Amino acid sequence: MKTFEKILLTNMERPEYTGSLADYEGTGGYKALKTVLGKTPPNDLIEMVKKSGLRGRGGAGFPTGVKWGFIPKDHPGPKYLCCNADESEPGTFKDRQLMERDPHQILEGIAISCYAIGAQTAYIYIRGEFRLAAKILERAIAEAYRAGHLGADIHGSGVTVNVSVHAGAGAYICGEETALLESLEGKRGKPRTKPPFPATHGLYQKPTVVNNVETLANVPHIVNRGADWFASIGVPPKSTGTRVFCLSGHVKRPGNYELPVNATFRDLIFELGGGMRSDKPLKAFIPGGASAPFLTPDHVDVQMDFESVAMAGSMSGSGGITVMEEGTSMVWAALRLMEFFYHESCGKCTPCREGSSWIVQILQRIMNKQGRPDDLRTLTEICENIGGRTVCAFGDAEIAPVQSTLKYWRNEYEALIEEAEALKGSRKEIPVLSLA
Amino acid sequence: MSNTSTMVTLTIDGIRTEVPEGTLVIEAARQVGIMVPHFCYHPKLEPDANCRMCLVEIEKIPKLQTSCSTRVAEGMVVRSSVPHVESARKSVLELLLGNHPLDCPVCDQGGRCDLQDFSHEYTPTVSRFKELKRVFPKQYLGPVIETQMNRCVSCMRCVRYCDEVMDAQALAAEGRGTITQITHWAGNELECDMCGGCIQICPVGAITSRLSMYDYRPWMLKRTETICSYCGDGCQITVQRKDDQLIEVNSALGAGRNNGDLCVRGYFGYHAAEHPDRVQQPLVRQADGSFAEVTWEEALDRVARQFTRIKATHGSDAIGGLITTRCTNEDLYLFQKFMRVVIGTNQIDSGARYGHINGVRALRRVQGTHRWTIRYEDLAQADAIMLVGTNVNESNPITALHVKQAVKRKGAQLVTLESLLPVRSTVSNITTLSKHHLEVKSGQFSAAILGLVKAVVESNLVQEDVAREAPEFVQTIRTNVAKVSWDAIREQSGLSQTDVETAARTYSQAERAVVLVGREVLRSLGGEGLVTNLMDLQILTGHLRRSGSGLGCLAEGSNDQGAVEMGAVAEYFPGPAGLHDEESQKTLTRTWGQAVPAGAPATLPEVLTRARTGDIKSLFIVGDNPVESLPGDAGVTEALDALEFLVCQDLFLTETAKRAHVVFPACSAMEKDGTFTNTEGHVQSVRQATEPLGESRPDWEMFSALSVLMDHPIEYNEVKEIFKEIRGVIPGYGLLGPASTPPKVDEKTVAQYVTSGFKEDVDQRYTLDASPAAPEGALTLRLVQSLYHSGKYSTRAKGLMEIEGEGRLHVNAREAGRLGIEEGQTVRLANDGGQATVSVKLNDRVPDAVAWFPEHFDEPVRALFSLKVDPHTHVPVWKTAHVTVTKWSSTNRSIEERSRV
Amino acid sequence: MDTQKQTTRLLDAVLFREIWKAMKVTFKHMFHRPMTFQYPREKRTIPDAHRGALGLLRYDNGQERCVGCDLCEAACPSRCIKVISEEDKSLPLQRYATEFYIDITKCVFCGYCVEACPVNALAMTKMYEYSTHDKRTLLFDKERLYEIGEQHLEDAKKYLYAHNQEHDDEESRAYRYHFPQPIEKTEASDS
Repeated sequence: MKTFEKILLTNMERPEYTGSLADYEGTGGYKALKTVLGKTPPNDLIEMVKKSGLRGRGGAGFPTGVKWGFIPKDHPGPKYLCCNADESEPGTFKDRQLMERDPHQILEGIAISCYAIGAQTAYIYIRGEFRLAAKILERAIAEAYRAGHLGADIHGSGVTVNVSVHAGAGAYICGEETALLESLEGKRGKPRTKPPFPATHGLYQKPTVVNNVETLANVPHIVNRGADWFASIGVPPKSTGTRVFCLSGHVKRPGNYELPVNATFRDLIFELGGGMRSDKPLKAFIPGGASAPFLTPDHVDVQMDFESVAMAGSMSGSGGITVMEEGTSMVWAALRLMEFFYHESCGKCTPCREGSSWIVQILQRIMNKQGRPDDLRTLTEICENIGGRTVCAFGDAEIAPVQSTLKYWRNEYEALIEEAEALKGSRKEIPVLSLA
Repeated sequence: MSNTSTMVTLTIDGIRTEVPEGTLVIEAARQVGIMVPHFCYHPKLEPDANCRMCLVEIEKIPKLQTSCSTRVAEGMVVRSSVPHVESARKSVLELLLGNHPLDCPVCDQGGRCDLQDFSHEYTPTVSRFKELKRVFPKQYLGPVIETQMNRCVSCMRCVRYCDEVMDAQALAAEGRGTITQITHWAGNELECDMCGGCIQICPVGAITSRLSMYDYRPWMLKRTETICSYCGDGCQITVQRKDDQLIEVNSALGAGRNNGDLCVRGYFGYHAAEHPDRVQQPLVRQADGSFAEVTWEEALDRVARQFTRIKATHGSDAIGGLITTRCTNEDLYLFQKFMRVVIGTNQIDSGARYGHINGVRALRRVQGTHRWTIRYEDLAQADAIMLVGTNVNESNPITALHVKQAVKRKGAQLVTLESLLPVRSTVSNITTLSKHHLEVKSGQFSAAILGLVKAVVESNLVQEDVAREAPEFVQTIRTNVAKVSWDAIREQSGLSQTDVETAARTYSQAERAVVLVGREVLRSLGGEGLVTNLMDLQILTGHLRRSGSGLGCLAEGSNDQGAVEMGAVAEYFPGPAGLHDEESQKTLTRTWGQAVPAGAPATLPEVLTRARTGDIKSLFIVGDNPVESLPGDAGVTEALDALEFLVCQDLFLTETAKRAHVVFPACSAMEKDGTFTNTEGHVQSVRQATEPLGESRPDWEMFSALSVLMDHPIEYNEVKEIFKEIRGVIPGYGLLGPASTPPKVDEKTVAQYVTSGFKEDVDQRYTLDASPAAPEGALTLRLVQSLYHSGKYSTRAKGLMEIEGEGRLHVNAREAGRLGIEEGQTVRLANDGGQATVSVKLNDRVPDAVAWFPEHFDEPVRALFSLKVDPHTHVPVWKTAHVTVTKWSSTNRSIEERSRV
Repeated sequence: MDTQKQTTRLLDAVLFREIWKAMKVTFKHMFHRPMTFQYPREKRTIPDAHRGALGLLRYDNGQERCVGCDLCEAACPSRCIKVISEEDKSLPLQRYATEFYIDITKCVFCGYCVEACPVNALAMTKMYEYSTHDKRTLLFDKERLYEIGEQHLEDAKKYLYAHNQEHDDEESRAYRYHFPQPIEKTEASDS
């Protein structure tokens, strides 16, 4: 079995590690904070992160250092850092583990990042269902305040960082950065129209950086071990470092695995994950959370960095890999995901709001063997009409499962529709407008 | 704003155009005549870009962009009608129609629906959507608004309008995705400003008016643009009728001074004009005291003969006249001409006496104008706005909208001196927007204004050149305000020194500052003095002459300003010009072909006194209703009963009209032509929207007919001729247009005022009167203007009565707790004047130790109030009383009934 | 002029050939059935597309088809239709005509109102005998119109079929204009 160097999960993989402040400090925690605060100029920090090639781990993979660089330096008012802990992508559960098992790693990252961008306040917008994680984080924050790692004048450097946890109310869309900001402001969680970008008009219309939990957790390590070390892992210069991949589905050992980004799906699924659950062949897998298009066994040797997965026609996204074995109905899989997206569409933009309900209804019909021959054309067209026509990326995400299954497994759809055609005369049609 | 910004050149569908920087692409396209279809975009609202209908292709941007949220850039090339843009629109429409019910044939919006229009333009007739449509039940949002969410396209215009424009935040979206629906906050019935804005702004038929549901189809409606007659804001309204039935009132975007916004009275109050109680035939009192319907000839003849007889036997001054300010300028002008020329008396007065006259007199005295020197546009540009005793949201809702816009869009600093608590609820409250809210104790504006002047003088905020040019003026005020201690001011007004000083600083340091003065100042004793003090404040801070700054007195009646300008008040000839103004006398003599009467004028209280003493034998009352608009102890009924002959001309048989010998049926403002002058002095056309009800006629026709019968013909063929004559008397009057230029401050008058004019009464103006302390345990009961009503006229409007149908005693929860009363309970109010039993409504914006009662329903409580008349301007003041409040239960009632038996 | 033609003309004149020709038609008609209908004893068969008096129709369950949408009134070129409608209080949002008038004396029988009707509530019938002594009865009110519709239901349906407005009974039901009654959308998606 191959072994890979771990960065984020090193601590928590030791059985005696509880994630308490003492444990964290015992492994060299908060050393990075002490070395940079008041000593390294914030600009150098930003440059360091840029050099490390760290990219956003939430899904879009935007270079973190560049994002920080967008924050206006001379802004007179407050700036904010928001830690996006609203991890609700189906098949993704890395942030939860990071928060529950090693909260101080994140808090240190937050403190350093706040210092780098000149923010004094950070909010951790945590998914509402993560009660335990929120509790652990709050306890950790209290510990950190007591130890002087957070609060006013940290370790006598004159830097102030206040962190608070804000629990969401269970909307998937609030993981989108502008919707997260709206929700944090107390409004209905709906994405904002960009531009202006959060970097200039974010929380309360002030410059704001929104970073994923995993992204921030990487920051102390970059500070400790240097940007060059980090940049040497993975596929320099574009995709660097390790990522925590969440393996789920029909595998023997599902769970979180930290791998350098140049590892392949085969490494993850067959080496670490132990292969297929019931030893049936692999049929399909989602490489980056529910909003990434499906990939086929042909893609199993693709590297898991952002570029390679994109080349394969999908996206690395949030790193949630869901595996499906032979025998899974792909129409059913697409429907299942579509139902999720239909339920979570915020309803702001017409194409996404109306399109998702339409697609769900068509897929339900096809699954119930009531499909019609022109359904596939309609599906394709609806997908085309949603993609790129919405405020946020949700629109593009929700069509991914349908488009990719139509691409690779069109025959399954056609078989179901043919079956429906054959059944046509023998059963009562559902009325066209059953409400009438 | 636009003149300073740079221009940007762009090409839209091959048309090159130049627009100011920051313009939205959709607006730029509209300017060159390209309509980009849209639902969620509205010029009044911030872009939300949710409908995705306005997608256009912009060169160098890979994805289609929403033109409603993209701002223009130099050299931008926009294409709005290329095939893939059109197909994007088609797809959006197809998706919208997916869940939209096919009920166009019965939808009230059908025929003027954006979705319908765009569907006709873009989509095929057959839909591919063969799935289930979402279904919501119909929902009533309060008594006049209903929603049918199946039709909703989720553009959120209503929610955004309610928040961004009205600042009410009464509507919200509930649910997610396709099952998003617009609703009000959970729990109670919708309680909001009921402005109808959500109905007007809905691009489809999802929010509709309950008053006219299913009564009409849009294409049947005939439209008339006229002016609302409820308050002094002078909003342009579009009256829509089917045959002769009033169906709907709305206002188009960009129309009039209101830019298409209306308040509840304008939007839902239109039924008043067609109330079944309207007097439709001339009535003449019979020997047995009852009224008989007669012909116009008979009624006019009778009045003419009686007037002639009284004039012959007792002289001209035995006849007096009162007119309401709901009349048009032409009616007011002709009324005063009739009284002055045909009758020959100066004993006339109008509704402007109830308060507006105080403001006009002060403006004339200090700055030499009778109008505002500012416009609504200046409000929008102001850096600071000060509201003094206005409760502007209730009295002048559209002026309030301009204030809200100034604060919310431009960031103007709002200073409010009001007697209401800044409590947020789903009914908008202007004080919640204010930077410095000074909570003035009820009726103690005199101390508050004095405090402001004191703060300006003592914190060295006096403009340097003012101190240089008029040292004596500044010095005198300084000495006078020094005599009043901050403690005394706090004692009386409840304001602390620091609060007043910060507010004064905000006002003085603003470049453009506007002061709006409302009824609580204008309708108080010494109101003229208070406005003069505020003018002093402007002089001291140098705002008087600065452009964009000024003071405005908010008119309550739709034509208060016009009444003064038409000379329908005791102290002025048309112009307004003083009764001793020789120039004016000469012009009027020439125009009227007869010398102006030399008799003494009489104000409203004087007219009533003279009637009581028998000096006035006959009164001609047009639309005014002194019996119900003055308290019981004013002796109005005695005065009217003492008359030999009373003529009333009114829409309804009011308490006053019931005492008349002859009643003429008059037309409502919806039924006649003319002009109104709004509170900022803008003269606007009133147009006939419906046929006069029954035999009713416009007021001026009656004056003209009477003059002919009294052998002193003043005849006109149409109302325009009167307006022409008004123009002859007041040169350049009412140049109808988008906005007339406001008058400039008259430098000579100001100079005269600061050198000597101020001395006359400065000592009295800057003193604190010891206000009568409320008896122990008593509440201060105030008759207030309700947002949902205007005068007594609106209580005839079906829609408004459904929103607020009875007068209830408003107290806040703390006060109610102290009194041990609850919402809906009955209480007894009592003082020396009498007692009244009313029910209670909790209202958290009522200050402590105060109770409000809507003046429109004052009938039961009028006995509790007593009249005071301003010694100087004769303004009747009576809207405050001290009462004790006790819980009243059914046992009390039965005991009372038994004792009565 | 050639001799052949002259000979024919001469023969025509001598043999009274034109008269024989005319008489042939006469004799032929002696054995033909007469064309004239002895109205009112005899009546013509009227084609289905005939535009006769207008009637209002009900669905087969007795519900009034008309939703009072006023579209017929808008379509009418002679302005002979007047509809007054309101909400049916027992069925929220269901609009219906409280009053419906057709002034048949003004009607030009163009059939536009039938075409305009979104629910096929109006149809023309084969009824043309409604002459009366009292002109006022020619202002058909809602009651009368439904009566006509009931009496001439078959003709009315045939009219709609003939004009391609409706094709069969089945389709008439599809037009039925019930207002959707609330159901929970979420149930549909969760199934």
